[in-house]
Amino acid sequence: MDLHGYLNRTTFQTLKLSSTPTCSSSRFLSPSLHKTHKFPFPRLTTKALSTSSAAVQTSPTTTTISDDQGGKHQWKATIDFKWIKDNKETVAVNIKNRNSDANLEFILHLYDKLFILQKEVERVRGERNAVANKMKGKLEPSERQTLIEQGKNLKEGLTALEEDLAKLNDELQREAQCIPNMTHPDVPIGGEDSSTIRKTVGSSPKFSFPVKDHLQLGKELDLFDFDAAAEVSGSKFYYLKNEAVLLEMALLNWTLSEVMKRGFTPLTTPEIVRSSVVEKCGFQPRAKNTQVYSIDDSDQCLIGTAEIPVGGLHMDSILAESMLPLKYVAFSHCFRTEAGAAGTATRGLYRVHQFSKIEMFIFCRPEESDYYHEELIKIEEDMFSSLGLHFKTLDMASEDLGAPAYRKFDVEAWMPGLERFGEPH
Amino acid sequence: MPNAFLAISENYQFLRIKPKEGGLGTSTVLARDMDLHGYLNRTTFQTLKLSSTPTCSSSRFLSPSLHKTHKFPFPRLTTKALSTSSAAVQTSPTTTTISDDQGGKHQWKATIDFKWIKDNKETVAVNIKNRNSDANLEFILHLYDKLFILQKEVERVRGERNAVANKMKGKLEPSERQTLIEQGKNLKEGLTALEEDLAKLNDELQREAQCIPNMTHPDVPIGGEDSSTIRKTVGSSPKFSFPVKDHLQLGKELDLFDFDAAAEVSGSKFYYLKNEAVLLEMALLNWTLSEVMKRGFTPLTTPEIVRSSVVEKCGFQPRAKNTQVYSIDDSDQCLIGTAEIPVGGLHMDSILAESMLPLKYVAFSHCFRTEAGAAGTATRGLYRVHQFSKIEMFIFCRPEESDYYHEELIKIEEDMFSSLGLHFKTLDMASEDLGAPAYRKFDVEAWMPGLERFGEISSASNCTDYQSRRLGIRYRPSEVLVPGPKKSKGNLAPPQFVHTLNATACAVPRMIICLLENYQQEDGSVLIPEPLRPFMGGLDIITRKS
Repeated sequence: MDLHGYLNRTTFQTLKLSSTPTCSSSRFLSPSLHKTHKFPFPRLTTKALSTSSAAVQTSPTTTTISDDQGGKHQWKATIDFKWIKDNKETVAVNIKNRNSDANLEFILHLYDKLFILQKEVERVRGERNAVANKMKGKLEPSERQTLIEQGKNLKEGLTALEEDLAKLNDELQREAQCIPNMTHPDVPIGGEDSSTIRKTVGSSPKFSFPVKDHLQLGKELDLFDFDAAAEVSGSKFYYLKNEAVLLEMALLNWTLSEVMKRGFTPLTTPEIVRSSVVEKCGFQPRAKNTQVYSIDDSDQCLIGTAEIPVGGLHMDSILAESMLPLKYVAFSHCFRTEAGAAGTATRGLYRVHQFSKIEMFIFCRPEESDYYHEELIKIEEDMFSSLGLHFKTLDMASEDLGAPAYRKFDVEAWMPGLERFGEPH
Repeated sequence: MPNAFLAISENYQFLRIKPKEGGLGTSTVLARDMDLHGYLNRTTFQTLKLSSTPTCSSSRFLSPSLHKTHKFPFPRLTTKALSTSSAAVQTSPTTTTISDDQGGKHQWKATIDFKWIKDNKETVAVNIKNRNSDANLEFILHLYDKLFILQKEVERVRGERNAVANKMKGKLEPSERQTLIEQGKNLKEGLTALEEDLAKLNDELQREAQCIPNMTHPDVPIGGEDSSTIRKTVGSSPKFSFPVKDHLQLGKELDLFDFDAAAEVSGSKFYYLKNEAVLLEMALLNWTLSEVMKRGFTPLTTPEIVRSSVVEKCGFQPRAKNTQVYSIDDSDQCLIGTAEIPVGGLHMDSILAESMLPLKYVAFSHCFRTEAGAAGTATRGLYRVHQFSKIEMFIFCRPEESDYYHEELIKIEEDMFSSLGLHFKTLDMASEDLGAPAYRKFDVEAWMPGLERFGEISSASNCTDYQSRRLGIRYRPSEVLVPGPKKSKGNLAPPQFVHTLNATACAVPRMIICLLENYQQEDGSVLIPEPLRPFMGGLDIITRKS
């Protein structure tokens, strides 16, 4: 029951086929070890394990902690409140840069309250134990009766305190979930327009004839059917036909082999997952205008990205250091409601409810994550170059990161038919 | 790990997509036909039958397909329907725009040939019994008769009301006019009441009639599971000189699956494929797609979320207790259990030109099944899972050709499974095991050494016009009824319902079970069958990782 075990709920960090609404909640984790910041991540874990006040939990994010008071959050994530408190200013600046509406003051207030309440609970427990011990000896009936009364009062008091403690824990969890991840120092501060271009590859092709968009080309070449899909399923669904099917298979086959060559383990994943796992990855299945489809009469959802089931692959586990890094390349279908994504850039294949995607995922030691971030973007850039695309890689600005991301690189490719860059990843 | 997919392009090179002539332009003619034949059917879930199909009661009756030995007057029936003078002609009765506020959730109607049922009552009754269906034929015919009478009454009252309206056009005494106004008002109220009754009766008839199963091919054995006959046996069970392992154990030793993590992330009967199993899935998909495309099928990928109405029109029951169908929250949408559904829906509410037929599709999709009520044995590992990849063949054809294409589909399956070196038998499924939409069904069961029994790997069904009557898929025959100087609508044969067939080309998890268990080696490795090797970059064996 250490103070670090709290649930976080975070915003949906997505493929960002539309500009991400800057939602308020994020998940705070002790910051990753950055080359210039040596955050004491290993030491914090040791600290957590040596907290004497509670039993040591080696897997704090367990669904078995019952939580009847105070809300639907039944699982807890490990948040380093002490670190937040000690680095209050940095955290506050980060929250502002991210345009998050996490309420840091209130969170720290709750944290202090919790600490005090926990001490009180321990004190009362101690008193109750003392009374219980006294009753073991030989006593006069009147003495015994007094002790029994005392014991009873203490028990009632303790129960009430424990209920308050649980409620406070939940509230702290709910609030703390709004705190976004820390931010890499090189990330530009600001909104969309502040994102910087890291790299540009190729140039837009010159056409000596009027350019058609993909919908028109697809129609003429009999590659898609959106109309029939609208009847069968609804808008933003489609059938691929003929060579488009071969193209999809070719892209999947080729991408899988390219990434496997670089040492990634291939995976296929479940596309139906428990909603708790969706939340633990930083998405909000229950939010209004959520991107997540839910299954009727169930706590399950459809995945919007293989990131979710791959992240879940090792949940509640302690891995041997020698296993790291774990590099996976996962193929799955992805489902997105695209609720709230109206307006331009929704024609044809640009924004659809269902699509195939190959996703790379790495589990690594903290000091290596920046390195692997560079490796991942390099793999993407190599592949898109091989396909002859004209694209630019962006270092996304602080307001556009999405809660879980410490740093995010987006690749936008030139789409002549749309006459602009669009995100193909 | 060798570069996995170099050879795939070579294998696809020979494939030439047929040049398209302006694509599949289907003319969708929507007109309204209020004849007595337009009713909804709801039927049992006809599936890949990964478990023995519960013999559910409801099925749909359709006028029987044209069978080689039975010349049913299919064209004539449609003509009869169209010549019914009592109502405007509807050429696509299965439209979602028919409002249906009374009597239930069925908002769309399928075209059922009640007159045929009535005229062939005994045959239909025997079929219902053979299918172990609990359709109530007597009651249905009773409702039909009631409906007919009520319809006549409605027409009569309408006629009277029109007469009154006409009278009021002329010059009249005020008292006469007043009388007529009163009469008109009473008739109107009476008519409204009658029309409400008519709508309710229509719905009830629809609900009941949906319990009637498709007719049955005369060669189908009558009875339960044990009556199914073996059409063909291929290969023989491999002899092993060492203890045989099942796919779960092989998968564990070769690090091919993860069921435990999937149970945490998603629940039981979910899984991750890893390493060579992923390559095996991709190889099976690529190879199967190319094999079937070679035979003239058009490749498709399909939506996996569809409207529940489309699911029902194909013969499944998304709302039944223990349904196999996952539904989406706050929506009328469902997840597909098979690509049969979106492919059938591809041409719903359409009239196709005869020259377009047959339309042959090979569709790749993921499939989702609740497997509710499927407890007990044979649920371990990959044998029964909630999500899997499948390649499905689907044909739309003229009625007189469906038996031929049924044979073609099963031959394609048998050829493919033979190529992979599997030992299997093809069964002609008995009448109680058909599932409502199927006129005839062939199942292939392959030998699975680890399970020590045969397991179903595919199913090929001829649904005749069962699905097409619900989905509203017809074609316009090019024959000319009345010779004339040029073809016009007046002298062309009226549109008829197509026949639909569906067949599993590859259900990946079952195939993986077969391949792992049959090709296991003494040292725990697994050989890859020849045809798949080029699709795995030449990999010929799966070995333990060090």
